[in-house]
Amino acid sequence: MFGIGSAIGHHGEIIQGVFERDRRSLVRGLVSFPCSALKSKATFHPTEGSEVTVSPAWKTKARDAVKTFLARRGVPTAGGSLCIESNISVGFGLGSSTADVIASIRAVARYHGVCLAPADIARMAVEAEQACDSTMFDGRAVLFAQREGHVIESLAGELPAIDIVSVNVSPDMPVDTLAYPPARYSTTEIEQFRSLRGFLRAAIRSASPSLLGRVATASAIINQRHLPQKYFVEVKAIAEKNQAVGIQVAHSGTVIGLMFDPAKPTERKQIKTAITDLNSLGFSPRLYRH
Amino acid sequence: MSLHEALDSIGELERPRIIQLRPNLFACCFQIMKLLPARFMLDRAEDRGEISPGGVICETTSGTFGLALAKLGAIRGYQVKLVSDPAVDPYLAARLKSLGAEVEIVSKPSGAHGFQGARLTRLHEIIAANSSAYWPQQYDNPDNPLSYSVVAERLAEIVGQIDSLVGSVGSGGSMSGTAKFLRDVFPDLQVSAVDTPCSILFGQPDGTRTLRGLGNSIMPKNLDHSQFDDVHWVTAFEALASMRKLNRQYGLFMGPTSGASMLVAEWVARRSPEKIVVAMLADEGHRYYQTAYNDDWLAPLGDLSVSPPSDPIFVSSPVEPVGQWSRYAWGRREPGHYLPQQRIAS
Repeated sequence: MFGIGSAIGHHGEIIQGVFERDRRSLVRGLVSFPCSALKSKATFHPTEGSEVTVSPAWKTKARDAVKTFLARRGVPTAGGSLCIESNISVGFGLGSSTADVIASIRAVARYHGVCLAPADIARMAVEAEQACDSTMFDGRAVLFAQREGHVIESLAGELPAIDIVSVNVSPDMPVDTLAYPPARYSTTEIEQFRSLRGFLRAAIRSASPSLLGRVATASAIINQRHLPQKYFVEVKAIAEKNQAVGIQVAHSGTVIGLMFDPAKPTERKQIKTAITDLNSLGFSPRLYRH
Repeated sequence: MSLHEALDSIGELERPRIIQLRPNLFACCFQIMKLLPARFMLDRAEDRGEISPGGVICETTSGTFGLALAKLGAIRGYQVKLVSDPAVDPYLAARLKSLGAEVEIVSKPSGAHGFQGARLTRLHEIIAANSSAYWPQQYDNPDNPLSYSVVAERLAEIVGQIDSLVGSVGSGGSMSGTAKFLRDVFPDLQVSAVDTPCSILFGQPDGTRTLRGLGNSIMPKNLDHSQFDDVHWVTAFEALASMRKLNRQYGLFMGPTSGASMLVAEWVARRSPEKIVVAMLADEGHRYYQTAYNDDWLAPLGDLSVSPPSDPIFVSSPVEPVGQWSRYAWGRREPGHYLPQQRIAS
């Protein structure tokens, strides 16, 4: 008997900044851009004793999340072996760590027959890491407080379908995405995020890839003043040339996504030429369909 | 309801109602638009410790910014001292008094800057005499344009895609601010300033203005000229005729600057039916019922039976005197760009 759980990674964020939680209290928030091609799968086998081991051994956050779950549940057998497989590259802002943690929590919960709501998973994930993303909400778009593990605002819908041409602008230099000090935003930027939040709501309510693309681009531009992406200007120019609906970034990582609308008849051709243009600059782009 | 929640409910008064007038024309209607920058400026000042309950707020204003400060001062426990000129109307004076604000009238103009200069001098005297005085400085305080993020947020949710923004300019806050936020998402947004003859904001020679509530004799720092694609100068009579038409045609009982704004917005919407146009309408008509809405008061300004022009005259320079609705393609350029270039001796 064992439990299996899986979780998806993301391709950075549509938006990341600070948002008003209630009158005059600000909280850091983001909307992750889920990427179903990126997956972690965890298997939990119970063992004798109270040790929890994990393979690969360095995935200690996932192991700790499982230990915390077992301790809180007060289950009789607190030991287990956790095995995690993942195709998510580490250190580029793709959510590998959170996906491992969520998959592991789901695996051990499944084994113990416990049903967990996304909000519960979020709380546990943020305990295991300092910050996590919003991928545990499975299709529902939420504005998520990543350092506190709760939903700031449910955006009442799904993100519209978007195809991404992914560019890693620093593939040889992975980063510790949690090592950066959190960005300190100016009054101007705080108010920009307030305005962008309105456009985000409108984009999701009207299922508009083009409006979502504009919001993501605006957030990426603000982020350049904090954790600038190398080659941002060049990649943005290629996106515009090929009529992408926008660009989004991993706000503390190194991937940029050129966003395309699958419903547009010219999309296939535009993606092809965007990839060619990126190749000629020396990048190795990948296509992730929605 | 806690005190904090009660204070929050006042925040509803600053929010605009967005009303669709035509398939491609939306009116962004404020009860008292200035409540928004006033509230935001006070919030930021409180955050920075520049003001605390019991403190004094001073400002020079003969318009709705003073009313906004008086309202907020009454609710939050600040003493509000306003320096005004004799143009303050009885309606406004009564409302200010009812809110406990002190109003001092400066009746003599001074030198080049007329009443505004004299009011500023008196204001500085009051500030010097009150150690805890806070001066919002709506013309230069960057928190003024920043407060309009709330408007952009609301426009985003109700209108969505916006191609053109039209509104009157006085301090520059509402238009420069709203335009900048909208342009984060729509960089190609076309922005039209509505001004009036004898206002220096867009290059007209200074002079006494019949249309109040927009225009200026002093250049405010909050006017970001690079936000504006074109500028329209609207005369008092044209604005008031349009204001009355707005009331009769749509039931929107708004003030004179709203009339000016709507005159231009309807023209833009007519010319470009495929573009979505938003008009900023800054205040309601209650204050003007004895003046602009009174036929006898209005008669000397013009003949109501004659329709005002439906199109502006295009002018090639802002310095030309304008006697009727005129428009100039400002092109997001800096002030004075139309003046002859000075050659610098090498």
